Amino acid sequence: MSETEMLWKLRQLPREIEPGRDLWPGIAAAVGQPRARSRARWLAPFALAASVLLTAGIAWRAQHDATAVPAVAVATPATSSKPTPELPATRGATATGSMQGALAGDANRSRMITGTVVARESRAVTDEYQAALRQFDGAPLPAEVAPTLHALDQSVAQIRRAIAVDPGSVFLLEQLRRTYELRLSLTQRAVMG
Amino acid sequence: MAVETASVDAPAADDGDVALARAAAGGDGRAFEALYRRHSRRVYAVVWRLAGGQAARAEDLVQESFIRAWQALPAFRFESAFTTWLHRLAVNTALMELRSRSGNEDRETDDAMLEHMGTADTAGQRVREQLDLERAVATLPPRARAVLVLHDIEGWKHEEIATELGMAVGSSKAQLHRARNLLRKRLGEDHERD
Repeated sequence: MSETEMLWKLRQLPREIEPGRDLWPGIAAAVGQPRARSRARWLAPFALAASVLLTAGIAWRAQHDATAVPAVAVATPATSSKPTPELPATRGATATGSMQGALAGDANRSRMITGTVVARESRAVTDEYQAALRQFDGAPLPAEVAPTLHALDQSVAQIRRAIAVDPGSVFLLEQLRRTYELRLSLTQRAVMG
Repeated sequence: MAVETASVDAPAADDGDVALARAAAGGDGRAFEALYRRHSRRVYAVVWRLAGGQAARAEDLVQESFIRAWQALPAFRFESAFTTWLHRLAVNTALMELRSRSGNEDRETDDAMLEHMGTADTAGQRVREQLDLERAVATLPPRARAVLVLHDIEGWKHEEIATELGMAVGSSKAQLHRARNLLRKRLGEDHERD
């Protein structure tokens, strides 16, 4: 047999050969657990970035609040940490009425300022948590967590609608923050496996 | 004489491979099983030949290759065709196993065995079994067989083979020359016996 003929025959050998048995079950059994660790390693930087982003945002908001809150507190005697100054006994009814009017004006102004602060805070919280959650866009999530995530998203939408109606509610703002925090925590845990 | 063999890549099938590989890289086990179903026969063929036609070893190598592929897929950048990447990974897996099994002494034993078989055949003492081309390839010494399989059947270049086998390009050419001579001798002897 010439070399040319031999090489031609080598090229004619089948390029595919069926294994004697199905090898997939052995592969499937072996690849399950390692991939979970691999995926966690792959997403770890994203989870860290999300946490850093969120922490930085909250820290910035806290620092910002340190200057905004005292202005509200000073204008709101009922919530001020300082006791309301006693009126001088020598002042008359006119002076007292004038003071009450001034206090009523202060209360209205206080509610307006509180509303502005809460609305601004709710927008900031929403922006910060949504930015953190975007870090997980496209990441595979177990199907079993989908209903919980959906319920949390609905809660967020409801709370934001409530804040639009009652922009001065610090309680609603805190609920929004807690719900977003839970949403982010659950997403992180689901992705990290 | 060098023979240019067809590329291992199959462009028509590669479009689907990319989507499946991306899904598998993201953790989709079904997509990875689909890739296994597409490519297992092709992978098995090359590792079976590199393993000298030993089915059990070849099956182990196929499983190990796909497990390594699963592990490595998240880092695959799709800069080459998936089939090329997978087949190189499988060949690398088989060659690693080959290196771990065959020290110099083992290779000499294989060479000696082959020469003995040829002598015995000439003397008429060999088992009267007609060897087809596959079986003749399987009886080659491991490194010579690897070079012949990769060059003459899989279409690799000597530079690529030398890198994978950790040898000089000249050694790869020498091994191919040796493998062809041994193979031709075996096939000629078979024809003489027909």
